[in-house]
Amino acid sequence: MSTFSFAEATEWRCAACDQPLQPAKVKVTYLNAVFNVELMVCPACNFILVPENLAMGKMLEVEQLLEDK
Amino acid sequence: MDQSQLRALEARCIQEEMPFCTASCPIHVDARGLMALLTRGELREARKILDRTMPFPEILGRICDQPCHPFCKRGEIGDPLWIGPLERYCVSVTDTVLKPPKLPVKGGAVAVLGAGFSGMTAALDLSRKGRPATLITARTRLGGSLPDRAGSLLPPEVFDQAEATLKRYGAEIVTGASLDRQTVAALLDKYDVLYFDWDDFTIDHLPFIPGTPDPISLALERDGCFGGGGVEDGKPFSIMHQAENGRRAALSMERYLQGVSLTAEREKEGACPTRMYTVTEGIPPASEIVPDNPIAGYTAEEAQREAARCIYCECLECVKKCAYLQEYKEYPKTLVRKIYNNLSIVQGNRSANKLTNSCSLCWQCTVICPYDFPVASACHAARQEMVASGHMPPSAHSFALEEMHYTLGENCALIRHQPGTTASRYLFFPGCQLTGTYPDTVERTYIFLTQHLEEGVGLFLSCCGAPADWAGQSALFTDVLADLTAQIRQMGNPTLIVACSSCLAAFGKYAPELTVVSLWEMLDELPLPEVLFDLPESPLTVHDPCTARYQEGVRASVRSICGKIGLPVAETTIGAELADCCGYGGLLQFANQPLGEKVATLKVSRSTTETGLVYCAMCRENLVGTETHIAHLLDYLFADPEKNPLVRAKVGLSGRHEHRSRLKSRLQSTLWQDPIGSPAPHRAIRLEADDETWALLNERLILMEDIQKVIHHAETTGRYLHNPANGRRLAAFKPAVVTYWAEYEPISDGYFLHRGYSHRMQLPEDRA
Ligand code: SF4
Ligand code: SF4
Ligand code: SF4
Ligand SMILES: [Zn+2]
Repeated sequence: MSTFSFAEATEWRCAACDQPLQPAKVKVTYLNAVFNVELMVCPACNFILVPENLAMGKMLEVEQLLEDK
Repeated sequence: MDQSQLRALEARCIQEEMPFCTASCPIHVDARGLMALLTRGELREARKILDRTMPFPEILGRICDQPCHPFCKRGEIGDPLWIGPLERYCVSVTDTVLKPPKLPVKGGAVAVLGAGFSGMTAALDLSRKGRPATLITARTRLGGSLPDRAGSLLPPEVFDQAEATLKRYGAEIVTGASLDRQTVAALLDKYDVLYFDWDDFTIDHLPFIPGTPDPISLALERDGCFGGGGVEDGKPFSIMHQAENGRRAALSMERYLQGVSLTAEREKEGACPTRMYTVTEGIPPASEIVPDNPIAGYTAEEAQREAARCIYCECLECVKKCAYLQEYKEYPKTLVRKIYNNLSIVQGNRSANKLTNSCSLCWQCTVICPYDFPVASACHAARQEMVASGHMPPSAHSFALEEMHYTLGENCALIRHQPGTTASRYLFFPGCQLTGTYPDTVERTYIFLTQHLEEGVGLFLSCCGAPADWAGQSALFTDVLADLTAQIRQMGNPTLIVACSSCLAAFGKYAPELTVVSLWEMLDELPLPEVLFDLPESPLTVHDPCTARYQEGVRASVRSICGKIGLPVAETTIGAELADCCGYGGLLQFANQPLGEKVATLKVSRSTTETGLVYCAMCRENLVGTETHIAHLLDYLFADPEKNPLVRAKVGLSGRHEHRSRLKSRLQSTLWQDPIGSPAPHRAIRLEADDETWALLNERLILMEDIQKVIHHAETTGRYLHNPANGRRLAAFKPAVVTYWAEYEPISDGYFLHRGYSHRMQLPEDRA
């Protein structure tokens, strides 16, 4: 399965670990579908950032597509 | 729904029935289509319509005696259309455009005796069907009595053209034949099937007794012989009668050769009744256009004007009113087919899910439809099937269902006898939406009822379960209702006083064992409170909720109350049993937000005055969203006199969510003096945001409480992101299935929210 990258330089830092975020591969799932994507993640504690434009854009689109399967 | 149920349902919508002209035309010429094309001056396309349906359009089109004329609907508002003369115009300015295909030859020896127009038609139809006919006449030419009758209306060359057509399809033409008894007897032996055209064949020459032809098949006494055409008893000669008989006979002869029933399923052949329903009200009348020169017939300009009088008869009465049907450009017949096909998809995209979930289940169309088409029950049943088969999109109704659970849960639900009593004669049931929108009004109304009714008025804060019903969650709905009725039974089966028309409808339909009365009918019986406002001078338009469609008593009481308190009211252009939905019905606004807004706007557009009055909490919420001044009737009776009922703002999802739980705890302490447990810690978080952010959250179906949970989780665990550049924090929390995100910053006594959003996709559990 190919990996789409949504990783983009960001000013957000992990507050707990005091670390900048870095691109990392993440498996996101919805209704039995699995996607490999690259997102910005805290390298220490794995806090994953889902930015607003991704959540309300591409993700919402795919969610609705899967819901109509 | 199986195929036969679907077909029965589809058949109730008559939008695809023939218009009056086509039905009364014995060969069903599409006159409506013809009129449209002639109006637009598309003559070649118009000619195609005639070429497709008419035998020898160059003849029939010129002299049709238009039996359709008296049936044209235009006659109700002006004069019927002159369809025949318009066909004549069309045929005289065009040549044949379309040549219908000829089917492969199938054999069978076919003879037509007599070459009047019915014989010509029979020979042509049979030859096209691959049964080349031999057309025999004693005359020297085709047409029987026609050339003599039509005179100058038919140029002689049209018969040459007809002859060429017949030959092209393989017919053989024999002229000048002797058709005496002996020859005919020989022909009877030679051919498998024969047609006798009474316009050009003398009945005395038959070597057998024909009897009366069967009215459906035109079969004569003798097997394989058919007869028609000529002049009908007591009627003038009609060319259309010749065409109809020739066509009917050809079909019978074809069936005869195939050995199948001569009469089965032929009801729609020939002029027939139609179930078409066309409303002419509101269409301006228009008189016929008479040609300046009747002998020459219509000029181009006259023809165009006459054709333009056509009103294109169709039904679409329901579509004219319903924004949902308009949005999807469907009428119920095509709609239910899409919905059914969507249910039967095994693999691939179910592209009509949203369509199925966008009907507000309001029943307006059913009241309008001359055949009571029940779109609502079809959509509702489809939703139940989607839920049962696991194909209901989770996001369509989940917000509304979660809110229902919340309302039914310990935070909001309450059922108590009147303070200081242990029994209830009545039980006030304001419903979830009134409680969410106007908690203070609910409290005042309740207190009023306790003061004016005897033997105890209990209070029941809950939800009737309608959202589950609308979402197609039948099992859940049954559970909710069973639980409600059990609680009511425990209260000693008091009479339920119900404020909301949806609850009233749900109880009436699904819990008929309950004794239920509408709040409005109850108030109409009581001495009303003194109105503490300056009443408006100009009338408010009363918007009935769609759920009061079948509640005539409720609608009457509302108007009676207005009269008693002196509130001037006006009626909508479409209301009462035809009222539109406000967008909430059937959970439409959750499944299809933009359509929900359109529906609300449409409802408001039925106003006849500048301001409006509703008696359903959801109508108020949604109609206020259209920026019109709308008051709720309870506002005039029981609301805070400081607030003008016409300028109260929309409450919104979060507001309604908060109000429900706050009303419960407030009433517990003020009315029943109960000790109150402490609220969940996240509820104590104070949030600020600007109006746009609140509006966006509302649109995204995110509650303030969801955001409070995110912040509470972030601040107690220390797990959030931090932006050193602006001091903001970003955190996520997933209370159930949806993950909520909040971008916020701490302020002195709480937090300021900058953004809120959500997603349903799941991040890996171990990492989030
Ligand atoms: S009102 Fe609507 S459903 Fe009824 S026949 Fe007409 S188009 Fe069909
Ligand atoms: S108004 Fe037009 S569509 Fe209606 S019956 Fe007359 S010709 Fe036909
Ligand atoms: S929204 Fe109402 S009027 Fe429109 S199709 Fe549905 S039930 Fe009929
Ligand atoms: Zn970290």
